[in-house]
Amino acid sequence: MKRRHISTILAIAVSFALFFWLAIPFAMAVMWSMVDPGHPWSYPDILPPKLSFERWRVVWETTSLPTAMLNSYTLAPVAGICTLLLAAPTAYAFGREEFRGKAIAQVVILIPLVLPGFVTAVFFASLLLSLGIFEKYPAVLLGHIVLYMPYAVRILSVSFSQVQDDVVNAARDLGASPFEVFRAAYFPVLKPGIFAAFLIVFVLSIEEFAIAFIVGVPDFTTIPTILFSYLGFEFVRTNAAVVALILVVPNVILMLVLERLLQSANPASVSGKG
Amino acid sequence: MGLEIENVGVRFGSFEALRSVNLTVDDGAFVTLLGPSGCGKTTLLNVIAGFLKPTSGTVRMDGMDISDTRPEARDTAMCFQSYALFPHLSVRENVAFGPRQKKVPKNEIVQRVSKLLDQMGLDIHAEKLPNALSGGQQQRVALARALAVAPGIVLFDEPLSNLDAKLRDQVRTEIRALQREVGFTAVYVTHDQAEALAMSDEVFLLNKGVVEQSGAPREIYFRPRTSFVADFIGAANLHVGKIKDGAMATPFGPLGVRGADALNKTVCWRPEVVRLGGDLQGAVTASAFQGGHLDLFVSAGDQTVRLQVPGSHEFDVGDEVSFGLDPENVVVLADEGHVDA
Ligand SMILES: Nc1ncnc2c1ncn2[C@@H]1O[C@H](COP(=O)(O)OP(=O)(O)OP(=O)(O)O)[C@@H](O)[C@H]1O
Ligand SMILES: [Mg+2]
Repeated sequence: MKRRHISTILAIAVSFALFFWLAIPFAMAVMWSMVDPGHPWSYPDILPPKLSFERWRVVWETTSLPTAMLNSYTLAPVAGICTLLLAAPTAYAFGREEFRGKAIAQVVILIPLVLPGFVTAVFFASLLLSLGIFEKYPAVLLGHIVLYMPYAVRILSVSFSQVQDDVVNAARDLGASPFEVFRAAYFPVLKPGIFAAFLIVFVLSIEEFAIAFIVGVPDFTTIPTILFSYLGFEFVRTNAAVVALILVVPNVILMLVLERLLQSANPASVSGKG
Repeated sequence: MGLEIENVGVRFGSFEALRSVNLTVDDGAFVTLLGPSGCGKTTLLNVIAGFLKPTSGTVRMDGMDISDTRPEARDTAMCFQSYALFPHLSVRENVAFGPRQKKVPKNEIVQRVSKLLDQMGLDIHAEKLPNALSGGQQQRVALARALAVAPGIVLFDEPLSNLDAKLRDQVRTEIRALQREVGFTAVYVTHDQAEALAMSDEVFLLNKGVVEQSGAPREIYFRPRTSFVADFIGAANLHVGKIKDGAMATPFGPLGVRGADALNKTVCWRPEVVRLGGDLQGAVTASAFQGGHLDLFVSAGDQTVRLQVPGSHEFDVGDEVSFGLDPENVVVLADEGHVDA
C-alpha cells in the first residue's frame, strides 16, 4: 500500500513537471502568435492586450510558408518510411545473426550521431554536387535518411533480437508462408520498435535545419529554415511563434495516432519455459 | 509416416551436440527419446523438423531424403518445449493457425479446433491470450496447436513437463488414444523415464550426442547394455568385479552370474527381482514403506543395494536380512562402469 502511495505521488509530480515544461511554453507560443501588431504585448501585461490572427496572415502571405509546409510535411513521413525500410536488413543482421566484426559494426554505425549536424551538412552538400545530384528535395531527403539511419538501426536491432527463434520456427513448422511468418512471429514483436523509430525519424526530420538549409539554399525551404530566419539578427518573436506552432502540429497528430495504435497492440511476448 | 535418421551429427562451433545418431521409426509408431538434460534431444527434434541443418548425415521420411526440404514443406508438427505460442493470437486462433495455413476448409477447422480444445480442457479459455494462461494451460495450447495440423509425424518436446501428476496422466492417455485413432507417428521427448516406459513402442536412450541403447521398454529396463542405461532408467544395483565359475564375489556374498569368466566386469540387477532368503546378506540401513511394496536399503562392506520386497514385510534399521537372486536376472554390462558407493 505504502509503495502504491509513493508511485501515485510520483506520477502526479511528473505530470505537473511535464505540464509546466510543455504546456506553458506551448500556451506562450499560442499567445505570442496571436498578438495584434497594433497592440504590442509588453511588461507588465500578463496577457496580450488584443488577440488577432493578423500575424498568421502576414507570415502566410509574405513568406513561402505554404511550399515549406508541403516540403516539411511530406519529407518527414517519407524519410521515416525510407529510413525504416533501409534500416531493416541491417537491423535484422544485428539482431538475429552472428558474424565476425559485429560488435565493431554496431559501434561504427553510430558514428553519424556524434558528428555535429552542420559538419555533416557541409560535406554532404559538396558530396551531392560531385555526385551530380542537383534536385533539392531528394537531396535533403537522402540527407535525412543518412543522418537518422543510426537511430532506426539501433531501435530495430533490439526489436529483432526480441523475436524468439522458437516462435518463428513454430510458424514455419505449421506451414506459414514467409509473409505469414512475418505477420505472426515478427510483426507483433517489432511493432513498438517500428513505431518508435518512425516517430523519432519523423520528429527529427521535421525540425532538421542544417541539411535543409545548407543543401537547400537558396530556393528550397522547409518550416525550420523559415523559423530560423526569424531568429537571426531580426528577431521577430511573434512570427517565430506562428511558425513554431505550425512545426509542431504534425508531431502532435502523429503522437496521438501512434498512441492509439500502440494501445490496440497486444502483449508482445509470452512467458514460457525454455 | 516412417522416419529414418542416419549418422546425423550436429556441431555448434567446436561443440558436438549430436555425434552420430541413428534411429528408425516405423509408420504409426510411438517412440520416446530419453536422456539427461543437454544430451541433444531438442537438437535432434530440430533436425527432424528442419529448423537445424545437420552438419552430417541424412534424414528420410517414407524413404525420401528430405535433408534439403524446408520446415514448412515437411509433414511434421512440433510441440515446443518453450511452447512458442503466438502471443497476439487467442488460444483458439493459435490452434487454428496450422490448419488455416494448410487451407483446410473453414467448417472443418472450426470442428477440429473445438474438439482439441475440449480434449485439452481449454474450451473455457478459448478466447484468452496466451499471456493470461498458466504455464500448464499454455503447454496444452502448444500441444493442441501441433495436433491440429494432423501431420504425419508429431514431435513432442517434453509436452507434459508443466502439468501436475493427475493432469499429466490424463493428457498422456489422451495423446496415446489420439495417436492410435489418427495413426500419426510420434517422436516424444521426455525426462521422465516412467513416462517413457509407459507410453512407447520403443525407447531411444540418448547420452552425450549418441543413442546409447534402443529397444522396447521391457528390454531397456531389464536388459540394459551399459551402466549409464541401467542407472538412468529405474533403480539399479551395480557391482564391479571378477567373474569366475559363474559367480562374482561381493561384500554381500557370492552373486550367481550367467557369464564367461572375466577380470573386470560390471553386473546389474533391479531391486524388484530379489527374493527374501538366500546366500546374500547385509544389514538394513533404511526402509521406506510405499504401500504395495517396501524399499529396503541394505549395506555390507562399503556397498549399499536397494531391494524391493512385498509391503507385508517389516524391517527395522540394523536388522540382518538375507536375500537371493536368480542368475537369470543379473545382467552383465558391456562397459566397465562404476559403482556409486
Ligand atoms: N544454438 C546453440 N548453440 C550452441 N550450443 C547449443 C545450441 N543449441 C544447443 N546447444 C547445446 O547442445 C546441447 C544439446 O542441447 P539440447 O537443447 O538438444 O539439449 P536437450 O537434450 O534438449 O536438453 P533438455 O532436456 O535440458 O531440454 C547442449 O549442451 C546445448 O548447450
Ligand atoms: Mg530440450
